[in-house]
Amino acid sequence: MANPITTTLSAKLSGLLGFSPAVPLRRWSAGQPLVDGKVLVLGSGTGPDADADAVAALLSGSPAQPSATPDSAGTEVLDGWGLDVYRHPVPDERYAAVVLVLTGVEHPDALHEPLLAAASTLKKLARGGRVVTISRTASASDAPAVAAARQGVDAVVRTIAKESRGGATANGIVLGDGVPVTAASAVGALRFLLSTRSAFVHGQLLAVDSTAGALPADWDAPLAGRVAVVTGAARGIGAAIARTLARDGATVVAVDVPAAGEQLAAVANEVRGTALQLDITAPDAGATILEHALARHGHLDVVVHNAGITRDKLFANMTEAQWDSVIAVNIAAQLAINEALLTSGDFTDAPRIVSISSTTGLAGNRGQANYAATKGGVIGMVRATAPLLEPFGGTANAVAPGFIETEMTARMPAVTRQVARQLNSLQQGGLPVDVAEAVSFLASPQAGGVVGRTLRVCGQNVVGA
Amino acid sequence: MALKNTATPSAPRRALVLGGNRIPFARSGGAYAHASNQDMLTAALEGLVARYGLQGERIGEVAAGAVLKHSRDFNLTREAVLGSSLDATTPAYDVQQACATGLETLVGLSNKIRLGQLESAIAGGVDSTSDAPIVVTDRLRRALLDLSRARTAGQKLAALGRIRPKDLAPVAPSTGEPRTHLSMGEHQALTTAQWGITREAQDELALASHQRLAAAWDAGFFDDLVTPYRGQTVDGNLRRDTSLEKLAGLKPTFGTRLDAPATMTAGNSTPLTDGASTVLLGSEEWAATRGLTPLAAVVDAEAGAVDFVHGEDGLLMAPVFAVPRLLARNGLTLADLEYVEIHEAFASTVLATLAAWESDEFGRTRLGLDGAFGTVDRARLNVHGSSLAAGHPFAATGGRIVATIAKELHLRKQRDGGTPRALVSICAAGGLGLTAILEAA
Amino acid sequence: MTLVDLPAVPGLGGLYARGAASTGRLALARRTGSAPVELPATAYRVRGVRASLDHLAAYQRLVGEEASDTLPPGLVHVLGFPLAIALMARTDFPLPMLGMVHLANLVEQRRAIGYDETLDVTASADRLRPHRTGTQVDLVVEAAVDDEVVWRGVSTYLAKGVHLPSDERASDDERAPFEPPLPTGQWQLAADTGRRYAAVSGDRNPIHLSPLTAKAFGFPRTIAHGMYTAARLLADAGRGRGDAFVWSVDFVKPVLLPATVATSVRHRPGGGFDLAAWHPRSGKPHALASVAPPPLTPPNRRPDRPSAAWSTAPPPATPPLLRLSATRPGATPGSSTIQPRSRSTIRRAGRPTIQPRPRRCSGYP
Repeated sequence: MANPITTTLSAKLSGLLGFSPAVPLRRWSAGQPLVDGKVLVLGSGTGPDADADAVAALLSGSPAQPSATPDSAGTEVLDGWGLDVYRHPVPDERYAAVVLVLTGVEHPDALHEPLLAAASTLKKLARGGRVVTISRTASASDAPAVAAARQGVDAVVRTIAKESRGGATANGIVLGDGVPVTAASAVGALRFLLSTRSAFVHGQLLAVDSTAGALPADWDAPLAGRVAVVTGAARGIGAAIARTLARDGATVVAVDVPAAGEQLAAVANEVRGTALQLDITAPDAGATILEHALARHGHLDVVVHNAGITRDKLFANMTEAQWDSVIAVNIAAQLAINEALLTSGDFTDAPRIVSISSTTGLAGNRGQANYAATKGGVIGMVRATAPLLEPFGGTANAVAPGFIETEMTARMPAVTRQVARQLNSLQQGGLPVDVAEAVSFLASPQAGGVVGRTLRVCGQNVVGA
Repeated sequence: MALKNTATPSAPRRALVLGGNRIPFARSGGAYAHASNQDMLTAALEGLVARYGLQGERIGEVAAGAVLKHSRDFNLTREAVLGSSLDATTPAYDVQQACATGLETLVGLSNKIRLGQLESAIAGGVDSTSDAPIVVTDRLRRALLDLSRARTAGQKLAALGRIRPKDLAPVAPSTGEPRTHLSMGEHQALTTAQWGITREAQDELALASHQRLAAAWDAGFFDDLVTPYRGQTVDGNLRRDTSLEKLAGLKPTFGTRLDAPATMTAGNSTPLTDGASTVLLGSEEWAATRGLTPLAAVVDAEAGAVDFVHGEDGLLMAPVFAVPRLLARNGLTLADLEYVEIHEAFASTVLATLAAWESDEFGRTRLGLDGAFGTVDRARLNVHGSSLAAGHPFAATGGRIVATIAKELHLRKQRDGGTPRALVSICAAGGLGLTAILEAA
Repeated sequence: MTLVDLPAVPGLGGLYARGAASTGRLALARRTGSAPVELPATAYRVRGVRASLDHLAAYQRLVGEEASDTLPPGLVHVLGFPLAIALMARTDFPLPMLGMVHLANLVEQRRAIGYDETLDVTASADRLRPHRTGTQVDLVVEAAVDDEVVWRGVSTYLAKGVHLPSDERASDDERAPFEPPLPTGQWQLAADTGRRYAAVSGDRNPIHLSPLTAKAFGFPRTIAHGMYTAARLLADAGRGRGDAFVWSVDFVKPVLLPATVATSVRHRPGGGFDLAAWHPRSGKPHALASVAPPPLTPPNRRPDRPSAAWSTAPPPATPPLLRLSATRPGATPGSSTIQPRSRSTIRRAGRPTIQPRPRRCSGYP
């Protein structure tokens, strides 16, 4: 927060409450190196490890000029990212990122080698460093030892996250059956988690379900040529999403209620998109959005359902109006718009739906039964909507923010707000742009294999974790 | 290749209304009390740019104006363009035709599009009664100017010596007519008395204006016509709760010195208002390349004026004469118009206009017709309310009316087919009037 | 008639002082029966009178005239006014100058007069005649360019309470009640209106300068100059009056300053304008005026008798009001040359039709 008074106040409150001061997180900006330092890639064991080799080759390979997208299902060497990659830990070396390729682990015993090797590096991990695991999903059809090892990885990632310091994050990529480490979404997820775009994504396991998706021609403009609608775009997280999608190349249709038109226009003009003043609960909202996008921009590829309201009340005291209005805006409108788009025949070019959920949608929250119903609803909605989009190479996913510094949270009582900030492993609130980065990733072609999932952007908030 | 020795004259192209944007109109001294004309015009432009994705676009020309204009705003429109997200190479010019300013910008730019001089244009207008220019008295101004020209000490002293203490009082602009020194309301009171317009009829018209404007707001009709500004999200003058009883309870404000009963109140007269409006215009080709849906075509326009100074006609009655000429030129009658938009300067202005058109004698003696000009079906009149409810920031009213009725024409055509037409009529100070025909595109 | 050439237009200040003195003398003489009962047979003339551009601009601005390069007829009146006053200040003038009331004014402008033209201005007194409340007299001023009379003004003044032996009977002066028409305009006259016109016209009659001095002459407040009121009405008529016209004004009730004045400027059938200024609340008229086109007969210019032009063939039913009295003294019948205007033909409410009004007072058909 730029305001020195609030910053000082926060610091004082933190001190009073016994919290350590938060480490400023680095956010993405153009021209930034993907990883600012050495990268350690560790395999599943001592023997040869094709997956780890492939990842190391990807990370260290010489960057190619933007070229034709490689076949994501293949295993050929991808255009490299030109990082300074090491395969064995050197004592006292400072690494900026540690990538653990654990796809070959078939018994908890096998975790010893890579995990302890990784552990030896963590004390000297660079500020804002990254720990990323790549593992496979544990399922009932696995051999018990395999499942045990794979499930164990998840919990280790969460633990590393809880122990991390200096703004470093730890996250895992969990590959579905038959999804190679070089799958577009595995590569896309790895790049996202290594980069500062995932600054507030912490302690999360991001599932890659399929080989769908494609690597972008330009990693800095993965949404080039795409038309994206963002609801609730006038301010806060919605405005950040509009800016981030536009930054990543998308043409943005900024939607908000007519009453928010002034700010909406400012956002639309800033991102050189178009403003559409619209009450999304109107019966023809989906048609209006589609008509606007098609007429002005020729197509519609991405819909970000960000608009939402709160009408907090203890469940026992909840009024009909409070309940109904939240349901109408936060979930019913999304369902109606999705239906209009899905049945239009004009939402078929690798379409993306990204919906904003909340940690409340995962864990519930006192006084927010209505809100929880809708934010939980979003998680269910994307899970069930994704398969409908799959035939067109499309996806539907959700992002669940934790405590984010917005105008809305700025109105919370200072102490409550400060406590809320501390309820995560990064011990600070996220910024709207952190949510926007996750949305942009899920909207991108390289996230085509992430299907029906909910990605938390919460700094590993204790709520619902 | 054969040489063509002459260019074949081609029929003028169509000039299309592609959309509009205004800020909600606010009561004088309200939400825009501290916004200048330039601020408000820029805000209206920015909303238009956002709605139609015109950021960085070089528009052919932008024309706008204000009735109450400070001399520092000599290039008001250009300055607003420079403060907007439009490309800085977008040319602009100011227009001033009293309350007809907004419509005149539209007429002039449309003609340029029809001639092929422009592919795209933005017409607009703005007025602030809250931030009106205050000037010094004529006597002080002349003395100061003479002082600046004086060469000798004696000349300087002489110039200074002419200044009297009361010359120092600031002068606010008035709506008084320079030649008659009567305010617009006092003038209209004369017309009201001349035509015997009743209080009841005026109040009914005012009520209909509020009810129709409220209905349009409630239906979301203005969602793509208005962008909020400074916390004002709907027209500040709109009275949803007004009624004939409430209107009837207001005291007359104009015409109280006449023998005829005074009938004009704050309820059936437009209040002082702040606001700005813009209209996006373009050729068919330009609209197509931008994916913009044409709403209406600007068909024709006619200006008029009356000799109110010598009591010949009421100050605001010029459209009474201009409209018959306009319709005749286009082979139309009032019955051929699906919509009639008559700016509600005062309820009685509209009613006196209708009365003149319905008068057999007036039609014969003053309009040179065989009888009455015709009647206007009230269901077609000001269908979404007009200035009585929305307010009337002088130069911004033309853009409000045109954008509103252009959208309505487009919807009507989508619904019922055909090519519905609308008449737009705006009376103005100085006995001026400007009228135009739009048809659905 | 003796024509006396003065070297320059006399100063009004001195004239008022002399007028005051002669007024006192007259009052005294009347008691003793030695007061003059006939008009002096003297005309005053000043050659080479010119208006300065500054004076022209100041006058135009004050009365709301367009800033043209021609002299408004009211300004020519201002230029000739001191000559008329000089006549009235003479010891042999039969009426007391102070306290005289300006009843009516008739100006005949025969062509536009450029500000750079040099005027020969002549003033004479004419038609001493009884009035219901006293005695009235015409002060006739003519302005000529190269012996061509281009402007002629007749100002009728009333000396209240002064009754001179006369053969004439006072006219009945049946004034139709003024019915105010619908106004076409309105003036807001500030308290200093009199002082500002005094500064431009030189007419510093105390009744126009301050409430105190006005009270001394029996007025409740400062009153506006009649010729200011008249000139503003004329200015309101605008360019439509043309370059040559007959401008006639009756002054009815003085305008007490500050004031709001309702005005009406309306075309009259056959050309010209009917003008009226009245009190908006009481409906009492201040001034009723008209601007009429000039006579159709072209001026019969006779260099040897320049001032007799235009007056040779008066219409039978109306008095030859434009005749120079010096040529045919005492031959004017009646006193009805100037009558109240606007016999309420323009109504205040109702349909906006303007009916023809009877033309009662013009000397022209």
